[in-house]
Amino acid sequence: MKTSNFFSQVMSSIGKFFIKMWNGILNLRKKRGFNSILASLFSIVIGIVIGLLLMLIIKPKDAFYGLAMMLSGGVSNISNIFQVLYTAAPLLMTGLAVGFAFKTGLFNIGAAGQYTVGAFFAIFGAVIFKLPWYLDILLAALGGALWGAIPGLFKAFLNVNEVITSIMFNWIGLFAVDLIIANTPRLLDTYYGGADQSRAVNVAGVNPGAKLPSLGMESLSPYMNVGIFIAIILAIVMFIILNKTTFGYELKACGYNKESSKYAGINAKRNIVLSMAISGALAGIGGALTYLAGTSQMQVTKSISPIGFNGIPVALLGMSNPIGIIFSALFIAYIQIGGNAMQPEFATEVIDIVISVIIYLSAFSLVFKQAIDKYLLNRNRKQKDLELAEENKPKAPAVETPKEGDLQ
Amino acid sequence: MNVLGDLISSMIAFAVPLILVALGAMFSERSGTINIALEGIMIIGGLVASLIFKFLNESQLAVTAPQLCVLIGVLGAAIVGSLYSFFLAFASIRLKADQTIGGTALNMLAPALAIVVTWAIQGQGQTAIYTPNWVPLAIAPIDANFLERIFLKSMYLTTPICILVIVAATIIIYKTKFGLRLRSCGENPAAADSVGINVYKMRYTGVMISGALAGIGGVAFTLAAGSGFASTVAGYGFLALAVMIFGNWQPLKIAFAALLFAFFKSLSGMSGSIPFLPSFENVKESLYIYLMIPYIVTMIILALTSKKSRAPKAEGIPYDKGSR
Amino acid sequence: MKIWFIIIIRILVITIERTLKMSDYIIEMLNITKEFPGIIANDDISLQLRKGEIHALLGENGAGKSTLMSVLFGLYQPEKGTIKKNGEVVHIKNPNDANDLGIGMVHQHFMLVDVFTVLENIILGIEPNQLGFIKKKEARDKVMVLSKKYGLLVDPNAYVKDITVGMQQRVEILKMLYRENDILIFDEPTAVLTPQEIDELMMIMRNLAKEGKSILFITHKLNEIMAVADRVTVLRKGKCVATIDVKDATKEKLSLMMVGRSVNFNIEKEISNPKEVVLSARNLVIKSSSSKKMAVNDVSFDVHRGEIVCIAGIDGNGQTELVHGVTGLDEIVSGQLILDGHDITHASVRNRSKLGMSHIAEDRHKHGLILDYSLEENLVLQRYWQPEFQNKGFIRKNAVRSYSDDLIAKYDIRSGQGSITTVRSMSGGNQQKAIVAREVDKKHEVLIAVQPTRGLDIGAIEYIHKQLIAERDKGFGVLLISLELDEVMDLPDRILVIYEGRIVGELDPKKTTFQELGLYMSGAKRDPKFEPSADQGATQQ
Repeated sequence: MKTSNFFSQVMSSIGKFFIKMWNGILNLRKKRGFNSILASLFSIVIGIVIGLLLMLIIKPKDAFYGLAMMLSGGVSNISNIFQVLYTAAPLLMTGLAVGFAFKTGLFNIGAAGQYTVGAFFAIFGAVIFKLPWYLDILLAALGGALWGAIPGLFKAFLNVNEVITSIMFNWIGLFAVDLIIANTPRLLDTYYGGADQSRAVNVAGVNPGAKLPSLGMESLSPYMNVGIFIAIILAIVMFIILNKTTFGYELKACGYNKESSKYAGINAKRNIVLSMAISGALAGIGGALTYLAGTSQMQVTKSISPIGFNGIPVALLGMSNPIGIIFSALFIAYIQIGGNAMQPEFATEVIDIVISVIIYLSAFSLVFKQAIDKYLLNRNRKQKDLELAEENKPKAPAVETPKEGDLQ
Repeated sequence: MNVLGDLISSMIAFAVPLILVALGAMFSERSGTINIALEGIMIIGGLVASLIFKFLNESQLAVTAPQLCVLIGVLGAAIVGSLYSFFLAFASIRLKADQTIGGTALNMLAPALAIVVTWAIQGQGQTAIYTPNWVPLAIAPIDANFLERIFLKSMYLTTPICILVIVAATIIIYKTKFGLRLRSCGENPAAADSVGINVYKMRYTGVMISGALAGIGGVAFTLAAGSGFASTVAGYGFLALAVMIFGNWQPLKIAFAALLFAFFKSLSGMSGSIPFLPSFENVKESLYIYLMIPYIVTMIILALTSKKSRAPKAEGIPYDKGSR
Repeated sequence: MKIWFIIIIRILVITIERTLKMSDYIIEMLNITKEFPGIIANDDISLQLRKGEIHALLGENGAGKSTLMSVLFGLYQPEKGTIKKNGEVVHIKNPNDANDLGIGMVHQHFMLVDVFTVLENIILGIEPNQLGFIKKKEARDKVMVLSKKYGLLVDPNAYVKDITVGMQQRVEILKMLYRENDILIFDEPTAVLTPQEIDELMMIMRNLAKEGKSILFITHKLNEIMAVADRVTVLRKGKCVATIDVKDATKEKLSLMMVGRSVNFNIEKEISNPKEVVLSARNLVIKSSSSKKMAVNDVSFDVHRGEIVCIAGIDGNGQTELVHGVTGLDEIVSGQLILDGHDITHASVRNRSKLGMSHIAEDRHKHGLILDYSLEENLVLQRYWQPEFQNKGFIRKNAVRSYSDDLIAKYDIRSGQGSITTVRSMSGGNQQKAIVAREVDKKHEVLIAVQPTRGLDIGAIEYIHKQLIAERDKGFGVLLISLELDEVMDLPDRILVIYEGRIVGELDPKKTTFQELGLYMSGAKRDPKFEPSADQGATQQ
């Protein structure tokens, strides 16, 4: 008797466990996030397919080689893997910048300018003030925050669209930085040598303390440093701020509905500026991570670095969720390294095309997902409405019984 | 005096692309769609025209009727620009996606596509397509006088086209039934719908007109820049939006705003040769100061005029028939 | 034998009546079914309109009246059913088709372009033109002829954003007449009018009917139906309940058909027993966002504990700005506002809330809720910063959840998934309940309720009225702003009428009439007591 009882108990608990798992999986389907992830994956696949088509058109015999490189270049050797992580770090930061702003209802296309200004502040601190790397990163955050706050101020107090302001300040930032670097010999004197136009600021040569520590990993790769870890930690911090704090609650409220949040006593203007400042700070840190790594040098140039703009696809693919952005940054860095490996058969810009197609499609899939959501919601709502209407009658009995003269 | 002539001619050359694109943006926004993809469309327009010029360069037509070739290039740019903008229209209008996402995607796609195509046609590493020398409308002699400098230097077919477009835009928007209906879609699409106007069709038309004009603007930019097509338009697509806002969505004011901006940009290009301008003696690379000025001026003006700004009421909001 | 004879005669008579009747139906909508994702808006509805009659379409919010008329006007395509004009089947695929058949519609929310002139609005879509260029003079002439013929006074060169609501409505009517429509649909035409303007509209409708136009008008106001309609069709929850002659109907019968149960017309409440003043406003001046004039120009009033005070007036006379000033959303330029002894004239929204102000906002979607947040996140919108709900900046999720569950139970808020439901998916009535729960449950001394029952069905309306009266009886003060004339006359204990930014009259709802209220609302009558010269400072109460 006892054993069969025991046996049946065990079976029933195992059974319950599986049922719970199954329900969990079904519930996962219902969770809002699931549809978004599906949508992103869908865009990625189609984007890659279109890239393949393009390569087939340009150089059919090399097309599949190109595809293979794009998809596997990132892991084809150890050095590449580390290069992926190294490339991903600033991308993750600018992605966080754009994503954070999106979550709060703002489109920070100025991440590029904030990245540049932040990088500049970091370099300045490293070379002129000989500050160690962590202080330089803080300076970068400060610079980026400043540059991000400007469009925020314009939007909050003057109601000028932040897209236009940001773009203007991308250029203003670039030229201002160029101007200052060109006129600060101490910065340029550090260059490796070369013609005027390609003067570059060599941070590591002047102030080794400013270089990002590599935690003993130099032997693995010259690219490996603490940058990626800083970026991931910051992503987690942003996630916590957005979802677990009252500050995040207020920022999101402002992003969803400025009017209602004013009515809730939230200071919408202050929040817009703060949001843009935080976003700018994140982008600025991205700049620091690039230029303090000892592998790149800042130049006086007339074109804006694309890393700032690439933050946009990273954010969109990651659905503006900090954790999602970690993955999308890694993915985009991955295919960019793959793209390098595709040369010289194909221009690396093929990757850019793939990425932009993915973004375009992600706009579709967002809408697609919204349509599904709305349909499901309406179906639920109709059910609820019917039930509601039935139950919503006042409960006071006096009204139910017909009175004299009420009916004819 | 000669310097002034050069300045004015440069100013006109830079203003033309701005005006064309800003007017295009105006058509789009007046119908209710924000066209963030203008930058990308300009690049595509410049690409197409440059390729057409290159192709026609080898043919007899270039010798006998050069301006006809230029016209073909311009038309090509307009048509392709219009088609490219269709993608934006589709995403924004039909699918009601966030208009900035679709536009940004197209902006990223254009330069990448341009470089890939240029590589494919010209060979690896050759990223610029040079403009043939029969393209300009006229050539100014080395020691040209003031008037000659204005009218002969940097004068391309796109300039008279631009003037035509300004006039046409003003008339169309305010005096025709198409203009009235277009505006109604941007102000109150529900009202337009209720009197039987097809809001979707109107908005598509508005966006595609903006695509065509931006395409031509891209050609004009390439020509004004002087060194051929280089897969970039230096932010002009977005500048055009600022010019449009500054011009309060009205054609004549837009033209004025564009001229103002082009003036500063020209100044920056010629800062060395203008005697009465501060030359920032101790500042190296002072050209960067001048490069910044147009953007700073734009910001100041936007800051001052934002209160009186009167955007089309329903712009940026996708029209949903079901939401009544 | 005789019985058979009688039966045959009856059948003959009925058949003859029917055939005669059939020929004077100008429009027939037969077995119309219209569905939207998840909801059947019109379920097998049949409606017949006689030529030259005024036919009312009655039903409460959400019954399907607007949808049915939108089908007739070509804005929607029905899933099933046919439409006939003069006995012939027609297909109306868009407003142009409807227009070709002579059908025109004046919508509830006017379909006018603010920045266009009256003339441009009238000719939009049907512009007289030559090669695309608009012939303005020809258009203007035609409009003025129509305007004179039907007595509809308009200024063709005025911009729509500058004219009165009454004139805007006349523009809408002229739109239809310009297009030579014979079948005119009016969707809730009186929602935005004063009693006087309503009378004028009724007269215009009778004139139009006399000239041979056939009119369909959608409403949920029984008084109007009794006043002007010939027949009425009642809809309930998407189905047609009945069509009867108005002369055979009573308000009670109609409301029974409309709602399915008899409705208490008079809100049950005890006599109010006002105590001391809890909210006091003195000489408030508040700016307008659209014009240079002050929207609120020297307004003073008191709200006592235990009373409901209503500020009534035509939309656009300063109520919105007044509420914004009182709640802190807009700045008070001059004057004083005192809440429970504290001067809150320049206090922030948050501080006013802390000192005891609760606010049920005018537009629940725009101001009252964050639609993309969950129910619990919305329920703590006014309290999330309190120590109960957060700890050093981190949200106490458990506390929020239990508070939310609590309110849901206490205030009977229905939603798909309880506290985690996204508010966007909830019905209007429950969204409003959530707002009311949030504002009433938090500690407060005065409640400001703006248009609290707009767009809700009768059940929800009754619920909210009950809540407001309960508030009053608990000893709080209630400031009500409403545009719904029935509500204004039934719910409050005192009415203050606002006109062009000033209080022009104080009325006792038990003693005043709709007509008198209308006169004050349109500025035709003023209480001399409220003239600015009469007072030196704050001595109104």
